[in-house]
Amino acid sequence: MDLFERLKDLREKGLSEIDKAQTEEKLNDVRVKLIGRKSELTEILHSMKDVEPEQRREIGQSVNKVRDLFNQKLDDAKNELVEKLIAEQMAKEKIDVTLPGRSNHLGSKHPIYIILDDLEEFFIGMGYKVVQGPEIETDHYCFEMMNLPKDHPARDMQETFYIDPEDLLRTQTSGDQARVLEKHDFSKGPLKMVGPGKVYRRDDDDATHSHQFMQMEGLVADKNITMGDLKGTLELMAKHVFGQNRQTRLRPSYFPFTEPSVEMDVSCFNCDGKGCAICKYTGWIEVLGAGMIHPNVLENAGVDSSVYSGFAFGVGLDRFAILKYGIDDIRDFYTNDVRFLEQFSREEK
Amino acid sequence: MLVSYNWLQDFLKLDEDPTVLSEKITRTGVEVAEVRHPQAGLKKIVIGHIIDCEPIEGTHLNLTKVDVGEDEPHQIVCGAPNVAAGEDVIVALPGARIADNVKIKKGKLRGYESNGMICGLQEIGFADSVVPEKYANGIYVFPQDADVKPGEDAFEALGMDDYIFDFDITPNRADTLSMEGSAYEVGAIVDEPVKIEDVTLKADGPNWTDNFTAEVDPKLAPKFFLRKITGVKVADSPLWMQRRLWNAGIRPINNVVDVTNYVMLLTGQPLHTYDARSFATEKLVVRKAQKGESLTLLNDKAVDLDPNDIVITNGQEVVMMAGVMGGLNSEIKADTTEVILEAAIFDPTLIRKSALRHANRTEASSRYEKGVNWDATKRALNMAALLLRNDAAGSINEGIVTATDTERKQDIVHTTISYLNKTLGTQISAAEVQHIFERLNFPVEIAGDDLTVAVPARRWDVAIPADLVEEVGRIYGYDRIESTQPVLPETHGGYSPEEEKIRRVKKVVQGQGLVEAISYSLTSPEKAVSFVKQPKELVKVQMPLNSSRSTLRQNLMTGLVDAAIYNMARKQNQLQMFEQGRVYDFENSTYNEHEHLATLYTGNVYFENWQHDNDPIDFYYVKGQLTNLFLAIGINPTKVTYQAETIAQMHPTRTAGIYYEGQYLGMIGMIGHETTRSNKVLKGKEIYGYELDLDVLLPLANNSKLVAKTAPKFPPVERDLSVLVEQDVTSEQIEEVIKKNGGQYLINLPVVDVYQGSQIDKKKKSLTYRLIFLNENDTLTDDIVNEAMTEIKEDLQTSLQAEIR
Repeated sequence: MDLFERLKDLREKGLSEIDKAQTEEKLNDVRVKLIGRKSELTEILHSMKDVEPEQRREIGQSVNKVRDLFNQKLDDAKNELVEKLIAEQMAKEKIDVTLPGRSNHLGSKHPIYIILDDLEEFFIGMGYKVVQGPEIETDHYCFEMMNLPKDHPARDMQETFYIDPEDLLRTQTSGDQARVLEKHDFSKGPLKMVGPGKVYRRDDDDATHSHQFMQMEGLVADKNITMGDLKGTLELMAKHVFGQNRQTRLRPSYFPFTEPSVEMDVSCFNCDGKGCAICKYTGWIEVLGAGMIHPNVLENAGVDSSVYSGFAFGVGLDRFAILKYGIDDIRDFYTNDVRFLEQFSREEK
Repeated sequence: MLVSYNWLQDFLKLDEDPTVLSEKITRTGVEVAEVRHPQAGLKKIVIGHIIDCEPIEGTHLNLTKVDVGEDEPHQIVCGAPNVAAGEDVIVALPGARIADNVKIKKGKLRGYESNGMICGLQEIGFADSVVPEKYANGIYVFPQDADVKPGEDAFEALGMDDYIFDFDITPNRADTLSMEGSAYEVGAIVDEPVKIEDVTLKADGPNWTDNFTAEVDPKLAPKFFLRKITGVKVADSPLWMQRRLWNAGIRPINNVVDVTNYVMLLTGQPLHTYDARSFATEKLVVRKAQKGESLTLLNDKAVDLDPNDIVITNGQEVVMMAGVMGGLNSEIKADTTEVILEAAIFDPTLIRKSALRHANRTEASSRYEKGVNWDATKRALNMAALLLRNDAAGSINEGIVTATDTERKQDIVHTTISYLNKTLGTQISAAEVQHIFERLNFPVEIAGDDLTVAVPARRWDVAIPADLVEEVGRIYGYDRIESTQPVLPETHGGYSPEEEKIRRVKKVVQGQGLVEAISYSLTSPEKAVSFVKQPKELVKVQMPLNSSRSTLRQNLMTGLVDAAIYNMARKQNQLQMFEQGRVYDFENSTYNEHEHLATLYTGNVYFENWQHDNDPIDFYYVKGQLTNLFLAIGINPTKVTYQAETIAQMHPTRTAGIYYEGQYLGMIGMIGHETTRSNKVLKGKEIYGYELDLDVLLPLANNSKLVAKTAPKFPPVERDLSVLVEQDVTSEQIEEVIKKNGGQYLINLPVVDVYQGSQIDKKKKSLTYRLIFLNENDTLTDDIVNEAMTEIKEDLQTSLQAEIR
């Protein structure tokens, strides 16, 4: 049989053997048999020395073609086989993806801290520093320095937990204002601060009163601070917290530590100002108190009120949270029922 | 203060809609909490005249014929005890709507047709507190001289067509606690001139001042005036006065007492009338009360007077608690004919404290404590005297007994228009500033930029330039002030470094799945020092609301345990919570506050699942979480040591003190059985947690700048080492020996097994450590590792009598 005949024959047999091999091992055996060192193909190549030189080139090309074909077919067969095996294995490994996952606690921030952190970030972005003061405050800083001398009628508005005649649980974070004003060196720049923290009042706890709650005080002092600056700052904050579409209004009010004093209302977010039970049919909801720092407060802290002025505001964080999240009982903040608290996990910013 | 819209019209022209006006007042002056229109929702309520009234036998009812201005009188069955022929009354006609949305229909009672209803004041919406006492349990009867005609609308006669503004006043605006003050305020707001009538009075009785002495300490009462009215006939007040009183929330009593209340409402000056018979001594003394003195007040309350109460006596006995309430012994009675009328100013602080002390705040005391108009005292006295002559047929005796009449200098405030504008951020012209003060009725002078304002006595709250800023700002209108941002040199905002670290701690534990709690700082003295290693001196408040909120906490764990009880009682048994907050103590003669962190864990690591992966939370789970916290805040956990420790209320054999190079950081462990067993909900539950003093911990955190290292390129070598030791040898002791001998390449030695049981000696335990060696710069040779292992084993054998397995 001439070499061409053998090659043709070998090609047919080889292809049929590849087709028959159904496992990786068999396929390997076939590979060795067909294109290995001792294969017939190699033998044919070796026997070329007996052929006429002019035919060698042609046979060589034919052998290579067959080898290439075998290689190609062997690779294809192997790939196909592996694919099938993987597919079979994975089919066996099927799970019910609808069964629930194994989960544990998610963790959540307390709603009052969600409000506080958001406000702090807002003010830090505008160059305010965050200041912390003592909760066990002296009468001096909590009242005297804040233009509330002993026997001031406004002290009636704040039922106070006294510890001794001079020390008390602070009823307001305003004491931080005095402490910071005393220390601030205006030659090094303006003072912009917020002071958050717990405060205490001698109120019996009920749905709208809590003997402990949280406030945030804010203060800006320098030359040339105006009431327009206060108004603009408060409006930005109110819109940041309660939404860009809210209207605001300032009303005259009274605080011993500011003059003029104002309270700010925002248009009711429930009825959009039309009047409903939440806003007591006024269309407005009171959100904070503010004003221009009283000259006595500046002077008490050693700041020349003829040169420096400023504004201050106080925010009830519980109240903000109540309004923002529609909470109807302030005690919910301090009962620590996880079913209440965990719902705030998605409010994390 | 309830301010009547109709009454305001006595002083100024008002054509604004009351609701619109209310919004203006709120934005400019005083918050109007509510505008009430008493007749709102009511209809077909008219005046009736009872022509005939016959009892219906066997009942308490009467059959009346009532003229309601129609052709025929209405037959109405009435059950009120005070119904009688000849009375002018309030009639709800068939089809009427009365209070609480009740509809009146024609009906039959005991077989008698009843065409309407004769009403009491409460039935048409009056509050019990303003209904005259004699009509409290029956129908209202108009005074005989009232100008009312059958069939006329009753709303106007009763003042129910009015609009009542509820002024929610701040302590500085006591001037609006009077109609005149309110009129000035509203006049300024709507820019209308205000007319306040002066009083001219001619006495028509004999002079009485020569025979009467009044001794008054000017410190207690800087102004004190008396008048005497004789020949008084006590009766009901005229309808117009009753109307104004009840619309202001005050119950009409009689024509003498009503006058004092009326003039107080009008001027803001509290007045008092005594039956002159109480001053048979012809002497009046104002002084502080003496210990042991007592007085029964007009409201029948007997009070033991305090040496800081101001009292009025007749020289022998106390007849009034000055500025607060009169005594029953000097009350105006039905047979009173001679009246002593007092107008005075008392020390505001003493009055406030008296009213508070005796829980007896009155219209008078609240005006005194907030500050009254020093210019109105004598005018109010004369006005009341005049009204007593008009309404109660009295004659005014010649002369005023003036015991004290301290002058108060008028406040003159100087400032500049540029200061006003600079503070407000406005460009208000001098002319407009001038006009604003004219609207306020403040005499004003402007010279160039200079501004001088003479503040009327009624506005004692205005004393310094900043007060003028407020007056100008609010009347100009806060709405008109342009919103701006402060134009300032740049400042660098942010948290303090301490606060930054606390925030990091909170973020980590929250990320570990813990729910943030906030508990009360005030707790009971016992709970204040639960879970505390070394309690310090307690900080207590003087007047606690109750004993469970009397003492400042020295630990946060107690709040979390309370929260656990609350939640577990509601079947929430899988809990992971934390609180970050302060604890408080008294030490080294100062009050101290320390930032703490506490966590509480109970239940399983995972929620209940179908794979039964229900590992319970235990000490080591919590300790692992804590170790991660240390890593996350830059505390090297290998420098932290744990010592078994006994801490109150914690499990004595499952609790450790946490130390960093000898410094106490806090504790970790299980809540003791004495807490859990005694509580139905906690019984049998294992609750773990830790509490850290962040003030000690956070300064230890590594603050140095992080310089990143490349990950090691050489593989680590691992060797397991099992040691058999006595039960009381701790893992820490073994670890120390291993570390000491492990050489520089030993980087980690996790405990991979602990065994106690039947396979080994009962008194022993076996621990297996996986020692991990790594040379970051070269391949580790077996020789080096073997050498280290040999030294470790030898030392374990000699120092801990360990058996290497």
